[in-house]
Amino acid sequence: MNCPDLRIQVRSEPRFLKCIRELLRSYVVNSGFSRDQAESVALAVDEACSNSIRHSYGGSCDEFFEISLRSDPAGLEIVVTDQGRPAPPGEIARRKADPTAPEEVKPGGLGLRLISEVFDEVDFRPGQERGNRVIMRLKRKSEG
Amino acid sequence: MKVDRNGEKMELEVNVKEQNGDMLVTVKGDVDLYTSPRVRSALVKALTKTSGGVGIDLREVTYMDSSGVATLVEALRAAGQKKLDFFLVSPSKPVMKVLELSRLDSVFRIRKDS
Repeated sequence: MNCPDLRIQVRSEPRFLKCIRELLRSYVVNSGFSRDQAESVALAVDEACSNSIRHSYGGSCDEFFEISLRSDPAGLEIVVTDQGRPAPPGEIARRKADPTAPEEVKPGGLGLRLISEVFDEVDFRPGQERGNRVIMRLKRKSEG
Repeated sequence: MKVDRNGEKMELEVNVKEQNGDMLVTVKGDVDLYTSPRVRSALVKALTKTSGGVGIDLREVTYMDSSGVATLVEALRAAGQKKLDFFLVSPSKPVMKVLELSRLDSVFRIRKDS
């Protein structure tokens, strides 16, 4: 069993997103990645958390979501889990629709695209009756 | 520094002023789900106060996420509908990064001011 290094519960209030970003930047650099990569990861995880707040919890500030962080020689694994409305079948694919034309930009869809641009592997798992989990992995790139 | 209704320091500054016939919105700080509504309000206000153009100065934006990008896109569309010019002024590195990741970096007119 690979236990996370950090596991935190966060109230679903947008004002805490900045704290999460600062934690992620620090953790990613501490795990041996560059500051540029840390900024990208902070952005992507912010997007995942924002999706929990906006879509899963419908903007309610009285819920909680969980972030777990783990790093090992292979790379980073970050999981964001909520207990809100599970994304209906097909919604993830719809929200990831190509937003290159301004007419197509929808905030939730753009967030999912950003997550997919930053991480090497992204696994979106809506629950059967409740909750969502998004598992994001970033591999260490060998130097030279 | 301003505080919000929770007494928390707001780490975003937004100012609107007229400049050379355009309305210029200047934003400093992090633009995220918490703060982007203030940017949106400023842009909506600026678009009603000009017959020329609206610019948004982003040189001191320290972070922007998809809610910020969506705000810019919304302003671009609204400006287009009103036949107004909309442009970004000196977007910072974090802004360009999120626009590039979003593949929207060539959608906006960008003006670089010194």
